[in-house]
Amino acid sequence: MSPQSFSLFFVFAVLNLRGFAVSDAVNVVASDSAENLGKVSPLSPLPGSAVVDSPPVFTPAVGSAFLNLLSSFPEDLEISEYCSELLLVFGQRYVTYVDCLVPAARPVKACQNCFSSYGSLVEVYTNISSDQMGPGNVSCRDSLLRSDRLMLVYQLFSSLQHIWEHSACSSCVSKGYQSLSNDTLYFLDVLNQTIACFDKYKQGNLTDLCSNCKSSYKSLNVLYGRKELNQTLCIDLEDSMNMTRKLWSKNFNCSLPREETVPVIAVSSFMLFLPIIFYLSSFLHSEQKKRKLIHPKRAKSSTSLMNIQDKQS
Amino acid sequence: MANITKKVSWSSRGDESGAVWEGTPLLNGSERPSVSRQDPTNWRPKEIPHNEKLLSLKYESLDYDNIENQLFLEEERRMSFMGFRCLEISRWVVCGIIGIVTGLIACLIDIAVEELAGLKYKVIRDNIIQFTEAGGLSISLILWAVLNCAFVMLGAIMVACFEPIAGGSGIPQIKCYLNGVKIPRVVRLKTLVVKVFGVICSVVGGLAVGKEGPMIHSGAVVAAGVSQGRSTSLKKDFKIFEYFRRDTEKRDFVSAGAAAGVSAAFGAPVGGVLFSLEEGASFWNQMLTWRIFFASMISTFTLNFFLSIYHKKPGELSNPGLINFGRFESETMAYNLYEIPLFIAMGALGGMLGALFNILNYWLTIFRIRYVHRPCLQVMEAMLVAAVTAAVSFIMIYFSNDCQPLGPDNAEEYPLQLFCADGEYNSMATAFFNTPERSVRSLFHNPPGTYNPLTLGLFTLTYFFLACWTYGLSVSAGVFIPSLLIGAAWGRLCGILLASIASTNSIWADPGKYALIGAAAQLGGIVRMTLSLTVILVEATGNVTYGFPIMLVLMTAKIVGDYFQEGLYDIHIKLQSVPFLHWEAPATSHWLTAREVMSSPVTCLNQVEKVGTIVDVLSNMSTNHNGFPVVVQVSDNDEPAKLCGLILRSQLIVLLKHKVFVELAQSRLTQRKLQLKDFRDAYPRFPPIQSIHVSQDERECMMDLTEFMNPTPYTVPQDTSLPRVFKLFRALGLRHLVVVDDINRVVGLVTRKDLARYHLGKHGLEELHLAQT
Repeated sequence: MSPQSFSLFFVFAVLNLRGFAVSDAVNVVASDSAENLGKVSPLSPLPGSAVVDSPPVFTPAVGSAFLNLLSSFPEDLEISEYCSELLLVFGQRYVTYVDCLVPAARPVKACQNCFSSYGSLVEVYTNISSDQMGPGNVSCRDSLLRSDRLMLVYQLFSSLQHIWEHSACSSCVSKGYQSLSNDTLYFLDVLNQTIACFDKYKQGNLTDLCSNCKSSYKSLNVLYGRKELNQTLCIDLEDSMNMTRKLWSKNFNCSLPREETVPVIAVSSFMLFLPIIFYLSSFLHSEQKKRKLIHPKRAKSSTSLMNIQDKQS
Repeated sequence: MANITKKVSWSSRGDESGAVWEGTPLLNGSERPSVSRQDPTNWRPKEIPHNEKLLSLKYESLDYDNIENQLFLEEERRMSFMGFRCLEISRWVVCGIIGIVTGLIACLIDIAVEELAGLKYKVIRDNIIQFTEAGGLSISLILWAVLNCAFVMLGAIMVACFEPIAGGSGIPQIKCYLNGVKIPRVVRLKTLVVKVFGVICSVVGGLAVGKEGPMIHSGAVVAAGVSQGRSTSLKKDFKIFEYFRRDTEKRDFVSAGAAAGVSAAFGAPVGGVLFSLEEGASFWNQMLTWRIFFASMISTFTLNFFLSIYHKKPGELSNPGLINFGRFESETMAYNLYEIPLFIAMGALGGMLGALFNILNYWLTIFRIRYVHRPCLQVMEAMLVAAVTAAVSFIMIYFSNDCQPLGPDNAEEYPLQLFCADGEYNSMATAFFNTPERSVRSLFHNPPGTYNPLTLGLFTLTYFFLACWTYGLSVSAGVFIPSLLIGAAWGRLCGILLASIASTNSIWADPGKYALIGAAAQLGGIVRMTLSLTVILVEATGNVTYGFPIMLVLMTAKIVGDYFQEGLYDIHIKLQSVPFLHWEAPATSHWLTAREVMSSPVTCLNQVEKVGTIVDVLSNMSTNHNGFPVVVQVSDNDEPAKLCGLILRSQLIVLLKHKVFVELAQSRLTQRKLQLKDFRDAYPRFPPIQSIHVSQDERECMMDLTEFMNPTPYTVPQDTSLPRVFKLFRALGLRHLVVVDDINRVVGLVTRKDLARYHLGKHGLEELHLAQT
């Protein structure tokens, strides 16, 4: 099975190589993008690894050692100039977005910092994937997105799209990726107040902090709870709230103490005591249920077990 | 009903001495006074405390055997080919309706429980949140207990005061019914109503119970009701399905209903069919199986459809069953060959724990039957259990230090924070502050690390005793879910321990798998069902991969458990003194012959009998006989008469009611001839003999039974061995078996109670007493 599939892959790769070599324009594009990617690769691992992972597509265009292996395809099978431009722009914006994401990984600021670059990435991808004919009456959707098994552009984009969806950023960002939504800004404001309060009392007695910051922390909690219900939370807010809560409960130790052990134990042991009384009293006072035996009529007395014993022995 | 005359027979002394010897002490023998040893020669009926070695007189057999009398033959002659086709079609229609109605009932229960429990937990949760901060958590505890008590009180009052037979899971009763025992009132509409509302109350009341067992009973009642086309309780007759108004047909439909109930409860249509097969297998045929499967499928489909509407995803049919175990991801849940011994060990553990559960429950049930038999006491007991359940749960939650962060995809509906850090919740509360189904699901599916071992251990321990204490209360509730929950808890504990021992091996990392195996082991250890339970679990988890381990686990659990104690349902059947016929006659009973087993002498009727005699025989309170051999005098001398048929009490009553007397027939020639329909109309509640007025003149009339009796009753010679008689009974669903001598004279009559009284005990073959209960 595996040799067969390997050889299939090889054939496929060769076909692709030939495709890249067919015209100058394409060669330029390919080398450009490769260069571009090569440049960013130390910074952002994702496109870099793409380069490493898919050498058959990119390296031949840079190193022309294999060029003589490639014969050209007819013109109409190749991608148009318009499409290659789109591809180029896609690559640039892709890199920008990833560049933005990586430093925003911890503490998570992926939505606040990078929503605009994601917006522009989506824009160019929408162009690529749209049905509309570009100049020269060509649609790049087929040629860029689904002319090969790998579907690299699609996969690259969908991986980022997955990150975006997973982080639920869209609930914090206004429509059209223009700005953060007002809700979010308000929440961040309240959050900042709380953090400021923490900072103010951090040095002194922690019980002071607990009592003084309680109101702002509580209002933050309430706001968060409301947003949780509305499902208007994104990962940034969740993460910052988590950190705040951790600070509050673990670092400053403001959790509620367990202090009413005695009444709880008293009430519950009273309840546990009731069944004992119940069973004792019903055992002592309730009249025991008796069954009246009926005497079956048998033809012989052999039903008695005495006789069974006799008969068996 | 044993057909016995009241005459004191010379054998009485022997019986008495046998009874004394049989007074073997039970497990709690100390409680049992030695009444049975007093004056054995006296005829005064002895009274003994209730125990498991009794057979109650109130249970009768179903008349499964067809009565092929002349009326029947006539009707069959009149019926056209189309008539039979229509009958066949209407059987399918009935099964379809059974499925739909059962599904709807399951839907009603599910939605009601979800809404009410949601409301209850919301109120309590808000209260707890409020009082965690302000102080006064003991008030939350009281609120919780009071809410629980209120719901449980409602349910318990309904069961204890209106319909005691609706208590418990109903599976023992249905098992008995499918076995051929007519349990009084078990398939009435009133029972159904009490059952449904009782189970809603008890689950919402927070008892350690499930709503699945009662579904089986509900399905059976639905089947019995729908197939009759009328309701005697509501006094409404739809004039349809009249042909099905007899025990034979009704029982077939009841088995379909039970299957539909199982399938609605667990989303397991095949499991449902197999359940019916396992419990009522002696009367089985291929078409019936196929129809039962149809009813099951329809029921699970109906439930599915309506739940999808309820969950606002109409048409999405992926919610089969009341309990949804959720899907197990196949790659995380893979198992390996070397885990099989572990599974088997867990099965053995489940068998032992199940046996312990059963033993404790057995003692408790005996105590309840003896001392807690008044309705008000039963209601109080149920309320106390509810309060204690709340109290214990609250203490557990209150003192638990196990805090876990809320997961990203956490389905927790009512997380309790209490004293945990913000953003975390009390992990004990996921197990206790929840309906049992949800707890099972979270034990199966929550990612590793959701529970710490101490929490699980404490939970298992408390829940084990709570569930054991709860089963047998007079509330309608099942034991499936509590058993699964206990098993899932300790199974998950096993999984966690294994993973901590062998930290390198990733296949042991997922405790959900062990939770499933533990649940299967515990459930198998308690109820001891085999084939059907395997299939139900496989279907409920939607994972065939686990078929083999689950089977192994259930087998081991059954083997180990049976070594100590019987299954829970069998214990309860025994304690209810039901004459239950097992698969086979007790071993080592071949030396017993029909002569020793049968009741004798027999009250026989002549083919043409005086009405007065019949009325006297029927009204004899001390001998509530049900079948009477009909004999014919060959010659005029004193020679005993020969057997020519068998007639039932119900038939005689209908005959008396319609005054089918020879003299009247001669005087009024135009009198309508009695048809089979008249018998069916009186079914199933034949009036008692006291309600039928027979004047002094009429007593002198004669009654000709030839047309109505069953002319070909099954008979056996006197020397037939007990296993042979037993096989006939079990396979043909007989109610009476006449024992004749070599010239066809009646010498005795074997009934179900004559056979059921033999069982294999610790001292070899033992005999059960008949008792009035």
